[in-house]
Amino acid sequence: MHFGFTPTQEQLRAEVKAFCEQELTPEAAAEFASGVGPGPAAKEFYRKLGAKGWLTVSWPRKYGGLDGSHTDQLIVSDELEYQGVKSNRVGSSMAGPTILLCGGEETKAEWLPKIAAGGIEFALGYTEPDAGSDLAALDIRAVEDGDDYVINGSKIFNTATHYADYHWLGARTDPNAPKHKGVSLFIVDLTSPGITIKPLWVLSGQRTNVVYYDNVRVPKRNLVGEKNRGFYHIATALDFERMFPCGGIRRDFHRVVATARETTTNGRPQGKDPLVRQAIAEFAAELEVAELLSYQMAWLVDNGTVPTKEASMNKTYVTELEGRLGDLAMHIFGPRFMLREGSKWAQAEGAGAWNYLSSYVSCIYGGTNEIQRNIIATRGLGLPR
Amino acid sequence: MDFGLSPEQDILKTTARDFFAEQAPTTLLREMRNQRPPYPADLWKKMADLGWMAIAIPEKYGGVGGSIHDLMVLVEEMGRAAFPGPLFTSLIGGIAIDILGSEKQKAELLPPIAAGKAVASLAILEPSLSMGADGIALTASHSAGGYSLSGTKLFVSDVEAADYLVVAARTGEGSGEDGISAILVNVKSAGSRLSVTRLDTVPVEDYYEVVFDGVVVGESAVLGQAGQAWNGLNRVAQIAAVAKCVDMVGAGQRMVETAVAHAKERVQFGRPIGSFQAIQHHCANAATAVDSARLIANKAVWMLNEGMECTKIVSMAKSFGADSHRRVTQLTHQVTGGVGLIIEHDLPMFTYRALASELLFGTPAEHRELVAQELGL
Repeated sequence: MHFGFTPTQEQLRAEVKAFCEQELTPEAAAEFASGVGPGPAAKEFYRKLGAKGWLTVSWPRKYGGLDGSHTDQLIVSDELEYQGVKSNRVGSSMAGPTILLCGGEETKAEWLPKIAAGGIEFALGYTEPDAGSDLAALDIRAVEDGDDYVINGSKIFNTATHYADYHWLGARTDPNAPKHKGVSLFIVDLTSPGITIKPLWVLSGQRTNVVYYDNVRVPKRNLVGEKNRGFYHIATALDFERMFPCGGIRRDFHRVVATARETTTNGRPQGKDPLVRQAIAEFAAELEVAELLSYQMAWLVDNGTVPTKEASMNKTYVTELEGRLGDLAMHIFGPRFMLREGSKWAQAEGAGAWNYLSSYVSCIYGGTNEIQRNIIATRGLGLPR
Repeated sequence: MDFGLSPEQDILKTTARDFFAEQAPTTLLREMRNQRPPYPADLWKKMADLGWMAIAIPEKYGGVGGSIHDLMVLVEEMGRAAFPGPLFTSLIGGIAIDILGSEKQKAELLPPIAAGKAVASLAILEPSLSMGADGIALTASHSAGGYSLSGTKLFVSDVEAADYLVVAARTGEGSGEDGISAILVNVKSAGSRLSVTRLDTVPVEDYYEVVFDGVVVGESAVLGQAGQAWNGLNRVAQIAAVAKCVDMVGAGQRMVETAVAHAKERVQFGRPIGSFQAIQHHCANAATAVDSARLIANKAVWMLNEGMECTKIVSMAKSFGADSHRRVTQLTHQVTGGVGLIIEHDLPMFTYRALASELLFGTPAEHRELVAQELGL
């Protein structure tokens, strides 16, 4: 048992920190904080990260990675999140790993280096109006026609489609097969004729989208993995999505603690209030656990395990922890919790309401926390379906 | 990072798990709760033969020379088996003497403890119920040739089975951490000025009130330097607190397995109740609570083992572990329903034991206060 980082890993974290201090411009930082996705400055920052290999540390060098471990990747992502950078990109943390695991050599050679370089981004194309938690019920149709598939239907809650280059699309290719066995995965150029993207704003100020497909033609070679095995490829990738870096939560927690130390109520620093002390200490332990769950995930993957139960525990725990950070900040800030960053009376750089509200989002996306608990119970504990 | 055990520790874990399953079935454990002393003598001897009381005692004092981590591997299996009696007390008592005693004292006291022929029990907590140095009020006043101890200790474990008490006492004028000594009291020869009363608790383990009314000991009864014992006592208390965390993890794991097995077998409405989402989520939440508590407990074990400064991690682990364990207890009872409430069922043994693990060596609130101090609040 060993819970420390190696000197090389400590150095890696320090390098990432120094890099952000040097390269993360105010414009890029503002774009990351905006909730509408990266603009030109943030995209430029991603290309710089790509040039360092930090988007895809654990990938083989021939595809633009560093041949590093998942633990190293998590260290990089963790520090990036602490610095305010959104580290979980769809291309590098979901589409890419799925291509690595399930894609043919041609697909790998075509897409992986571009993802690693940070020049292109993907958007997830899973959820539909009638296929949320029941993902296998997705109904957008892809029909073979010559060298192409022709796709018709619609998607909802497809975040990132408005700024990404490609859609990582799950579509039904065999309507007569059992529902898990008739889905395939496609890479679709989001500028293809017939695609319409409409914004959908959620309560936390983040943008997601509705996407309509009207006779969109996709070349056959853009099918990823095996035809009709897409649902299984998706399930594998979801285990990777749930390696949650906690750097952003840790940074905001530090801000909340500093606020408690510095703010005086009725002549007494809030940090001297026993209830505040108890609440902060409780959160500190929970945050420690969240980080250990994430690093345990990385360690399991590094040791050749595909974690399922652990991935679901990690997702559930971290997203609910985000909400509890909101509870804590609300307790300490009082009405000032509602203020946005930049407002005269805002505390802790606005680390209040927006984070709290975004936990409502994160407990739903990536498989609702109810679905995660079903996975823990059935796949992890062997309870009957 | 490495979240796993060494091959030797895997063997220890398997040996301990098999031993408790064979030698200490739950039927026997229930009987043991009503026996004095609780163990059949042959069971204690078998454990001594396995070297368990010796596990963390250095080889030069007749021990096995294992690490704190090795000790914790055994403790997790004890928790899993809800194994009662003085083994836990003996392990912590041995560590206390190893940390606090002089070379001479260790050479004399540790070999019999390692061999299972003597048990020392730690006596720190007092009616103030404070785990801090300020909570120590028992006095040991110096007189010709020795000390006279007066005061009360509470929740001292397994005193009837113990040969020695390691007593935290004030020998100096100072307050706080200053002037606290660790004094060895021989229970069997202390005489009528030491009164020992078993506390009438719910059926957790054996805890006692020990009243010192001028108990006289010699100069050599002071472990280490007089007045300088607080740091050592605090480290022993930290190890004990983390051992309670690890015990709760072992117990919690068993409770989850018990609840899951029940949910697979129990049929209502024509289906196993484990197919109902409400039951599944209780099980998933309980499993997450145990796995989370294991991670933070293990990190504390590792830091203790490495000799790092670990006030914060110990207190995080103990407060988190206790709260998680209470949640596991509640959830697994909810899943097992009426049958889990019957005292012949395995679960109540764990439910009782949970109380002592959660509340001794620092309550969750006390530990959270320490974390707050460590965070600079």
